[in-house]
Order: sequence, then structure tokens, then C-alpha cells
Amino acid sequence: MNQELEKQFVKELESNQNLIHKICRSYTNSDASHKDLFQEITIQLWRAYPKFRGESKFSTWMYRVAFNTAISLYRKTTRKVETTQIYDNLKELEYHDYDDSQDKQLQLLYDAIYSLNDIEKALALLYLENKNYKEIATTLGISEVNARVKMNRTKTKLKNILNP
Amino acid sequence: MVDQLDNLKNIWQNQGDSSIKFSEGDIFKMVQKKSSSIVKWILIISILEFILPNVVWFFTDFEATQNLYQNYGLSTTMKIYSIIHFMVIVVFIYLFYKNYKNISAENSVKKLLANILNTRKAVKYYIYYNITMAALIGIHMFYKIFNSELFLNKLPENTNMIMVWLVALGLFVLALFIFWGFYRILYGILLKKLKNNYYELDKN
Repeated sequence: MNQELEKQFVKELESNQNLIHKICRSYTNSDASHKDLFQEITIQLWRAYPKFRGESKFSTWMYRVAFNTAISLYRKTTRKVETTQIYDNLKELEYHDYDDSQDKQLQLLYDAIYSLNDIEKALALLYLENKNYKEIATTLGISEVNARVKMNRTKTKLKNILNP
Repeated sequence: MVDQLDNLKNIWQNQGDSSIKFSEGDIFKMVQKKSSSIVKWILIISILEFILPNVVWFFTDFEATQNLYQNYGLSTTMKIYSIIHFMVIVVFIYLFYKNYKNISAENSVKKLLANILNTRKAVKYYIYYNITMAALIGIHMFYKIFNSELFLNKLPENTNMIMVWLVALGLFVLALFIFWGFYRILYGILLKKLKNNYYELDKN
């Protein structure tokens, strides 16, 4: 029975993994720690899976556990990224002002998110994923009013990083 | 201004699959791995904290200690202290276990942070308790020993008792400070991230 459950879990996670990769890429700065974090999220998800009764969608439930792992449970093996990296990328972007590829813009966005603190990262991701304030508030465990205030601050910060 | 953020949303939502991708086989292997989460570290360190203050007694010469107590009339007092100590340990272990059980990655971010920090807090109070007890018992023992004939006879004449007290207490306080410093550093490293994140969520 346990094997059956495990099979089902692995299958669901495999097909929903993109969502987790987005979190990993935002919270880490190297492929190695990206994989580390993904692994820890997988372990935490599997541990919680027997209690998951499908009251919410698998992806919603998974998203919450993944955030919690990234913010609270994961012990970073920090590899310092040079702070100049973001600005180098920015300069490059200016040169190709009207010619920027989607990929470059996306990388820039990820770099900007990475420079935020853990909570702001979560807010930025929830915003980009188009979550409503009610969901943001319950995910983080704060009031909707507080979520709005924090969101506005994060948006401003994000804008300032992208337009220094 | 708003346009730029909307533009970011578009870029975000149109991003393709991650460049890192795991197969079902990879994920299956990950499931078998052991967690290295912060909670696991807190659990390991906490168990050590519950055990270590008591392990000290295994390394002392039991008979010699009993003789010492007897000589200075401390036997009954120490027995009472021991009984209180073990009752307190049971209460702390229960509190710790209850908090530990509450830690769930399915809670909201803030609740999870609070639960982890609370689990830690139970151990912190346990350490406070140990330090207080060590101080109380220490002072009690010094008092008994310094006032006993046995001890006073060994001292050279004209010894200033105030100096004896100062040296004894000074060494005692120094030992506590070293212990405390080490403790702060250990938990400073372990909990900094959690505390910062909790504070960040809590402030308005």
C-alpha cells in the first residue's frame, strides 16, 4: 500500500515540478543548492503526503509546503553571489534595449527576486503567480491588510532594483 | 509603473520549463533520502541538551561525591534537589515533545516559524533552569563547605574569608559566562534566519 502511495506521489510531483523549480531558482544562487533545496522539499512533501486528503489541489498544497521548506526548514549552504552580478546583467540589458530576449529578462527578474529577503521573495512569487490577497494571507499566515502593505512595499522594492 | 510590473508578470507566466528537470526515477531516489532540515538539527541538539547536564554525574566518582556530601552535611539537600530536578526534566521533555509534534510544513509560514521557535524556547528555558539550579546548588555548597570545621582547619591562619568567597564565585561566574557565550553563538547561527523571517512577517 505504501508503495502504491509512493508511486502516486512521485508521479504527481514529477508532473508538477515546475512550480517547485521556480521557488528553488528564486531562493538559491547555484544549480547545486537548487538541487539541494528541491530534494529537501521533496522529502518534506513526502512526509506530509499521507495527510494530504485532496481538500485542496495537489499543486496548491505542494506550493505551501515548498515555501515553508525554502523559508523555514532549509539550511542554506551559502555560496555568496557577487552583488555586482545583477548590475552587470542590467548594463547588458541597456545595450540591447529593444532587442532583449525573453530569457535575459527572465534571468534579470530572477536575479532581482534573489536579492530580496526570504519573505519578500515569497510575496514576489505569489504576486507573479497571480494569487489573490486572501490566498497570499493564508499562505503566509498574516492578515489581508498586512499582506497588502507588505506586497506594495515588495513591488516598490522590486521596481527599484530593476530600475536603479 | 504598473505597466512594468504587468510586463514582469507576463515574462514570468510565459517562462518555459525549468532547465533543471527531474525524472520519476530521480524523485523516487530523493524520497529515500534523509532530511537535513533545521528542525532535525534543533531536535538533535535539544536531545543533547537534555542529556548532557545529567551525563556529568557519570564521570564523577560516585562514592567520593557521596562522602563529600556526607562530610559537609549536604546529603538530604542533594537528594531533594535530585528529585526536583528529575520532575522538572519530565515536564520539559513533555513540553518539548508537544511543541515538536506541532511542527508541520502544511501550516502557514508564520505558524510554522512560531512553532519551531517555540520548540526551541522550551529547551532555552530548560537551560535557564539548569543555570539557576547550578547557581543555587553551588552557592549552597560553598556556604556549607566554607563554614565547616573540616574546611576551616585546612586553611592557613588569618585567611580572609571574603577573598575565598570572591575567588570561588568569580570562577563560578566565569565558567557560566563561557558556557553562555558558546550557547549564544550556537543558536545565533542556527536560528538567525528563522528569527529574521518571523520578525519580517510580524512587523507592520
